[in-house]
Amino acid sequence: MTSLHSPLAHVELPEAHAHAGVTLREDKFRGHLNLRGNPQDEAFTSAAEKVLGVALPTAPNSAVENDAVRVYWLCPNEWLLLVAEGAEGQTEADLRAAMEGQHIAVTDLSSGQTLINLSGENLPEVMMKSTVYDCHESNFPVGKAVQTTFAKAGATIYKCADGSYDLVIRRSFADYIFLWLKDACAEYGLAVQ
Amino acid sequence: MSQVNRLQQGGRVDRSKPLTFTWNGKQFQGYQGDTLASAMLANGIKVVGRSFKYSRPRGIFGHGAEEANALMQLGVGKETIPNPRATQVELFNGLEASATNGWPNSDFDLMEWVGKIGGKMMPPGFYYKTFMWPEKMWMTYEKFIRKAAGYGKASLEADPDIYDKLNRHCDVMVVGAGPAGLAAALEAGRAGKRVILADEQNEFGGSLLASKQSVNGQPAAEWAEAAAAELAAMDNVVCLPRTTVFGYYDQNFLGALERRTDHEGMTAPSGSRQRIHRIRAHQVVLATGAIERPLVFANNDLPGVMLSGSVATYVNRFGVVPGNRAVVMTTNDSGYQTALDIHAAGRTVVAIVDTRHNPEGRLLDAARAAGITVKTGHAVIEAKGGKQVTDALVAPIDAAGDSVTGKPVSMSCDLIAVAGGWSPVVHLSCHTGSRPQWNDDIAAFVPGPSIQKQHLAGAIIGEYTTAGALNMGAAMGAEAAGAEAGSNYDCGDESVCPAQPMYLVPHTKSVMRAPKQFVDFQNDVTAAGITLANNEGFESIEHVKRYTAMGFGTDQGKTGNINGMAITAKNLGKTIAETGTTIFRPAYTPVTFGALGGRDIGDLLDPARHTAMHPWHVENGALFENVGQWKRPWYYPKAGETMQDTLNRECMAVRNSVGMVDASTLGKIDIQGKDAREFLNRVYTNAFSKLAPGKCRYGLMLKEDGMVFDDGVTACINDNHFVMTTTSGGAAAVMSWLEMWSQTEWPELEVYFTSVTDHWATCSFSGPNARKVLAKLCDDVDLSADAFKFMDWREGTVAGIKARIFRISFTGELAYEVNVPANQGLYMWQKIMAAGEEFGITPYGTETMHVLRAEKGYIIVGQDTDGSLTPQDCGMDWIVGKKKEFSFLGKRSFTRPDTARTDRKHLVGLKPIDPTVVIPEGSQAVADPNQPIPMDMLGHVTSSYWSECLGHGIAMGTVKNGFNMMGETVYFPQADGRVLAAEIVSPVFYDAKGERHHD
Amino acid sequence: MLHIYCPYCEELREEEEFSYSGEAHIARPTDPEALTDAEWGDYVFFRKNPRGLHHEMWNHAAGCRRYFNATRDTQSYEIHETYKMGEKPSVTSQGAAQ
Ligand SMILES: [Zn+2]
Repeated sequence: MTSLHSPLAHVELPEAHAHAGVTLREDKFRGHLNLRGNPQDEAFTSAAEKVLGVALPTAPNSAVENDAVRVYWLCPNEWLLLVAEGAEGQTEADLRAAMEGQHIAVTDLSSGQTLINLSGENLPEVMMKSTVYDCHESNFPVGKAVQTTFAKAGATIYKCADGSYDLVIRRSFADYIFLWLKDACAEYGLAVQ
Repeated sequence: MSQVNRLQQGGRVDRSKPLTFTWNGKQFQGYQGDTLASAMLANGIKVVGRSFKYSRPRGIFGHGAEEANALMQLGVGKETIPNPRATQVELFNGLEASATNGWPNSDFDLMEWVGKIGGKMMPPGFYYKTFMWPEKMWMTYEKFIRKAAGYGKASLEADPDIYDKLNRHCDVMVVGAGPAGLAAALEAGRAGKRVILADEQNEFGGSLLASKQSVNGQPAAEWAEAAAAELAAMDNVVCLPRTTVFGYYDQNFLGALERRTDHEGMTAPSGSRQRIHRIRAHQVVLATGAIERPLVFANNDLPGVMLSGSVATYVNRFGVVPGNRAVVMTTNDSGYQTALDIHAAGRTVVAIVDTRHNPEGRLLDAARAAGITVKTGHAVIEAKGGKQVTDALVAPIDAAGDSVTGKPVSMSCDLIAVAGGWSPVVHLSCHTGSRPQWNDDIAAFVPGPSIQKQHLAGAIIGEYTTAGALNMGAAMGAEAAGAEAGSNYDCGDESVCPAQPMYLVPHTKSVMRAPKQFVDFQNDVTAAGITLANNEGFESIEHVKRYTAMGFGTDQGKTGNINGMAITAKNLGKTIAETGTTIFRPAYTPVTFGALGGRDIGDLLDPARHTAMHPWHVENGALFENVGQWKRPWYYPKAGETMQDTLNRECMAVRNSVGMVDASTLGKIDIQGKDAREFLNRVYTNAFSKLAPGKCRYGLMLKEDGMVFDDGVTACINDNHFVMTTTSGGAAAVMSWLEMWSQTEWPELEVYFTSVTDHWATCSFSGPNARKVLAKLCDDVDLSADAFKFMDWREGTVAGIKARIFRISFTGELAYEVNVPANQGLYMWQKIMAAGEEFGITPYGTETMHVLRAEKGYIIVGQDTDGSLTPQDCGMDWIVGKKKEFSFLGKRSFTRPDTARTDRKHLVGLKPIDPTVVIPEGSQAVADPNQPIPMDMLGHVTSSYWSECLGHGIAMGTVKNGFNMMGETVYFPQADGRVLAAEIVSPVFYDAKGERHHD
Repeated sequence: MLHIYCPYCEELREEEEFSYSGEAHIARPTDPEALTDAEWGDYVFFRKNPRGLHHEMWNHAAGCRRYFNATRDTQSYEIHETYKMGEKPSVTSQGAAQ
């Protein structure tokens, strides 16, 4: 018996649809770390860059990534780091070591949230059903990351290079969001991978 | 008798596609492209309903949103829809419609006779005068009025259809797809802007679809079709026909209702039946057009009296002439075109009755050339007939239109088309607070100044020519798009002769004595009624509206308001500009509740938050309770148990062995930074300066008014790192509270807060055997009572998983809370259940948790407190730090005279005198149950349970001066007449010395 | 529905993302114990309710979770400006009167 259950491990899959207008995939068990610190403090930013291999993004609603990590700007002194499953412990330890003595916070949220990817030709309409944020390409280009509402819950939404969206959602709302998506996608067909 | 009024050719209906429908149970035929109204008129149906107050017969009057009479009941059973306007219902095969009012039916109406008598007893101010007193009779009156007047019936069954919503964003939102709107959308679309064009009708074009004009040499309807096709082909333009923009809200936010499948049948074949578009636009172009104004003359509500422009629309767009002999009464040139259209259709125009003494111009010439009688300086002063018009009484009037100057003559007719000028559709512009302004040039209200990024085009600001509307639309569309207009439109000679404002047609008798002259058909408001209201002293137009009910209902004064205001102005000797207008609020036309609810219904009404162990709870038969948005196990009944049986079993398991509750829903906030300790000192009543790593402390949080706001246990991870718990329902509020103080007041304190509520799953098990259970799973922590004390926490390995173990207790028993990352929460729960099996470990829910804590006198913030109790009121002065340097939040309020009183309501224990009694929660406490009502109330019961382990009921509650009344009896009178009694006691009913949780 | 510019996210966002937090620029007294009851009562209970310009605090609750201030007209609902914590408004009723 595995000791791990992802937030969407229990969901009942919708009935198979000949044509799936939307596909949902849970990228489960990723490492999620919340990082706080002062972006004006060069010691902090350089320590972060040294550990992560990329500079912390400082532009609002932006994100950067390399092979090991994706870093979301959440607010002027807050970032979300997404790393591979199991890498969160080492990353946290490395950050703490590199930032010794600084006013920072590193908090492991790996079990508190999950990442779901949404793709498919009917996705634009499903996004219009689900979020008040304007997801038109002119307002939401690839690489942008936005914290906003999703149905009656919240989500951090990232536009991927392939046009799909990565949503970071809270564990306790995952079931609700899945029910919402199942309903919103019913007319197009929802595939769950 | 099929389609007696249908023309052989012409119009936009498809005569090769006949459709069958029923009206009041009888079958009729119409065509694809008809509205229900046009099909009814084609079949010669005159009476469509009965009026609200006087129960007078009413017929179809308009052709769109302005229709006030033809409210229908569509369909039957669960699919039934009350009150759509027949003029806005597209005909489909099998449509069933019936009158919403009229009893027993709209043709023969008993209530008409009641109305004739009752009308005298229902003058203006009827509601105020009759129904305000006695208040309790309102329900009786209301039932009677509704039954008599109708207004349709909603289905009592669930609606089989679904409704949804889309959030839309655009650069330019164009409301209305008549000439101005189409031209505006074309310019903005061609400029590459994101455009949304919405129109309430099934096809774009508005007045162009019923026009015989040409646009740049092309027939108007053809031009509209081409424009619609061009827009539909643009990727950057969203076309929304059958979509009514019903509300215009702040900062260019608009609500629009799209009827997606209403025209296909009563139920949507797939997808949503209706959809609300929530639109945020950078720029808005309002091209909502104008509504024709009726003329107020005696019996002007008889079936057969119709708006002139509507008659023309029926003729030209639907191929239906709603009468054989028409009298057209007009104050302006637009009636002439209608007369010409009726004439061209081969029906008789008895006369054009023009109130103007000296009209001239191309339309007058055309009418005379067609051989139509034109009576200038005349008016229809009264319509005659029983259930429909049979005659028009026509008389000469003076040039000012104030009085009849000669003998009336009777003209035999079955249709009176009235053209009283035009009222711009200013409704949407009013929604954001802009007041309409009177414009003397066009004798109408136009939108006033607005702070919205809003542009106006066409008839909405009195541009009534087609070319003018097109060119203005193009200009405004370009302006909204930040571009140059690229089109210029010409529609030939559209010159007109000036109109005559005419708000009340004179009669040979005075207003008060003439037959009823209706201003507002839907609410049965007459010129005499308004005059009476004015005579009674109602001068403000808002008061006149409320006193007479003018502009109420689904109609919202679309046709009647201007006439009513003008009549008021004249009665008061003021100008219309001085009298002003009422303003319009959303919705422009009614919106179904289904659409407003969208998909936020059933399971999606509100998010249900689940813990990691939720699947286990479901599998093991838990019943759930909502705590905030969380679904928490309430209790776990076994077969054959009553709820009380279950609670007794769960409680005794904890008291005698061990039980476990899922405590994952408690809010958890991770606090890091060197000033974390100082911050805690400031927000909690007690001191955290000396809380050592490995230790926990209970804390009470207050608002600045000194009242209890939240509570919870905070653990010290290390000197710069703490984890705070909050109540399940208060987590978000506490997080915001901490952030607010950190961000706005004490930014100098180096501390960060992160919500970790969802990250940690918490298995809380307690009872005398709790240690034995933990010992089976954990071997790297010394669990002995001396090494791992009450209010300690340890990091350890439980069932192979790294965990934080807190030795804290909400039950009064030896207890541990094992916290693990939530991905491992379900596994941990199962492991502890398995380890506890030999001790009979029993899962318990929130109800047992409440009983156990109440036996110990522990409060639940939000249940026992309500924002009006200080720590002292709760008997918790022990947790208030007396020596803390910083004046923590709320402290200063303790010494306010009201807070410092010693006879405030106190939270005390209540022990029922009859031990078998459980006093209902919410019961009010009184000192003397025999005091006459209203009694002096001392407080109320906040928590009350049966305590199985104590063998009697227990309760907590507030009692005024309770701490000084220990041992005294208070009474709780019940609604059923019983009076329950309780002794005021300490709230700690169980293990008062607190020995058990220290073991 | 308001459209509110978050000075931290540097974007206009829908009202659903925000929560209202009352009148802005109310500093907590540095020494509450030194205040009279009336002075303390003013701080705790009394708030302006102007018809017109109002400086008020908002929280971008579903976004960056930052508190910020807005100058809003309570009559027209027009938001004249939003500004970060610690900054001063540039639109004031004194300014508007000039
Ligand atoms: Zn923000």
